[in-house]
Amino acid sequence: MRSRILSILAYTGAGLTLLVAVCVPFVLIQGFSNFVAHAGLHIDATYSGGTIARTVERDGYRIVVYQPVQPRLLERVEPFVQIVFEPADSLPSRVSDEIDLDGDGRPDVRVSFTMPADPNAPLRGDVTALNATYISLTNVGGESFSRMVVRTGNKIVVRVPLNKELARR
Amino acid sequence: MASRSPALARPPAFRGVGRSILLTLPIALWSLLMFMPSFQRAGRDQHIGALLVILLMTTLFFLMMRTGETYRWRRIFFVALGFLFPVGFIAALIAERGTMSIPISRMVSGDTPFCFMVTPSIILPAAFARTIIFPGSILPSAEHPHSIAMMIGVWFAMTLVLGKAWCSYACFFGGIEEGFAAFAKRRRLHRFVTKYGSILRLIPWAILVFVVLASAALFEPVYCMWLCPFKTVTEFPAVRNLETAIQFGVFVALFVGLVVVLPLLTKKRTQCGFFCPFGAFQSIFNKINLFEIRFNREKCVDCTLCQTSCPTAALSKESIRDGKTLLNCMKCGACVDVCKKDAAVWHLKGTAVAVKPERARLLFLYGAWALATMFGGSILANSVATMVHWLPWK
Repeated sequence: MRSRILSILAYTGAGLTLLVAVCVPFVLIQGFSNFVAHAGLHIDATYSGGTIARTVERDGYRIVVYQPVQPRLLERVEPFVQIVFEPADSLPSRVSDEIDLDGDGRPDVRVSFTMPADPNAPLRGDVTALNATYISLTNVGGESFSRMVVRTGNKIVVRVPLNKELARR
Repeated sequence: MASRSPALARPPAFRGVGRSILLTLPIALWSLLMFMPSFQRAGRDQHIGALLVILLMTTLFFLMMRTGETYRWRRIFFVALGFLFPVGFIAALIAERGTMSIPISRMVSGDTPFCFMVTPSIILPAAFARTIIFPGSILPSAEHPHSIAMMIGVWFAMTLVLGKAWCSYACFFGGIEEGFAAFAKRRRLHRFVTKYGSILRLIPWAILVFVVLASAALFEPVYCMWLCPFKTVTEFPAVRNLETAIQFGVFVALFVGLVVVLPLLTKKRTQCGFFCPFGAFQSIFNKINLFEIRFNREKCVDCTLCQTSCPTAALSKESIRDGKTLLNCMKCGACVDVCKKDAAVWHLKGTAVAVKPERARLLFLYGAWALATMFGGSILANSVATMVHWLPWK
């Protein structure tokens, strides 16, 4: 009797597995995707740049300043601040902007780069630190996650490393 | 004998043509259904790709029904998938960015396609910090169609049906090794693999534990960044300093050693069996999967042909004696096909062993082949379309 019940359960399970297989492309992929999408997850700030602190409007373009990203205990990345210039195709051929990163009303860094005529050409730029919290960068491209001046689509992403000692205060 | 193809053990006519066609009909209809959108939307290259894949998947399933063999026909699909996946993938990369390397700008814009191999690495950071440690996009969009949510959805839905059989019906990397293993004429190092099999089988688990913990500690996908052999034939972080140069060197060395040389020597899927942490992770799902391979001890003569033929060393003398496979069995069917005494059988958990093995095989194969057609089939169709696009006389 027990083996008969087990057998019935097994075949029911096998039938359900087949049903699941049939449902995979139509219902289940979307269902599980929605679950993951609404699980409140976010991409690590090392890749995404973190959360936006404020936006500064300029003549024809805007500068988005992100909150400083502090690496976790063993994370192999320097602390940094991300700045995004967008849209890239509205930027002047030479950009040189002084930007207030910490919101105290005083500029913290000067970001300078020349927009290449070809959008696929590698971009390089300079970051001059105007106070000791930030680290200057010279002729930087896509060196590392915390030191970069790169073009991604219609944006220019700049990451300025923070002085570890001062950034912790 | 050791190097003999498992498929040679069984007579060719297992089932009549009419009955085989009848049993193939659901898969033929399913294939048409899966590729219907390709015929409605895409261009001629895509139509040719879809048509060839429908023919391939239907024909192979028919041959499975007709001959009663699983491994030989599955292997044709699987090796085609393994060798053609990089063709389509690399062609898309070259067309899009002109190189296989991922520049850092692509990573920060969330453009990196999510690979299921990274799944174990992201679990702990996702669970405890709600953070995905992968440079992709969580939600799909026009720019990021292969989003993390979608790929995890595909993986999890398929894993419910396949369990560890993911590794023999869905993994587009495993086919590369299986292809190289198939080229080998002799089975070298067999004694070594048999003698140290119990230790070798633990390596993927050790790597899994290391990768999961190291990824959680460093907040980076350690397997992707340092250990994935298949970066060599897909995409890899652009070499921009010594660290990325070492990473690239490790990828190539692992690919050449584990995916090309050792399968050629041993006729085994050495990366899958003795290295892949995702494979170990996938083994856990064998516990909840209803289908398995069992051994009828009354018929078994302990010839160990099954053990020799197993591509991932998922059998030991002890396990055969117990009438079971080990946890890392990926249900490829090699042992069943090679067994001359019909002692190795497909089995549905909860039913009596070896009573209706063909029914268990059919129930498993319908689900597995349907998903193989949906997932691997669409990858194959895309790669075939890419190759058709390259044809010089077009």
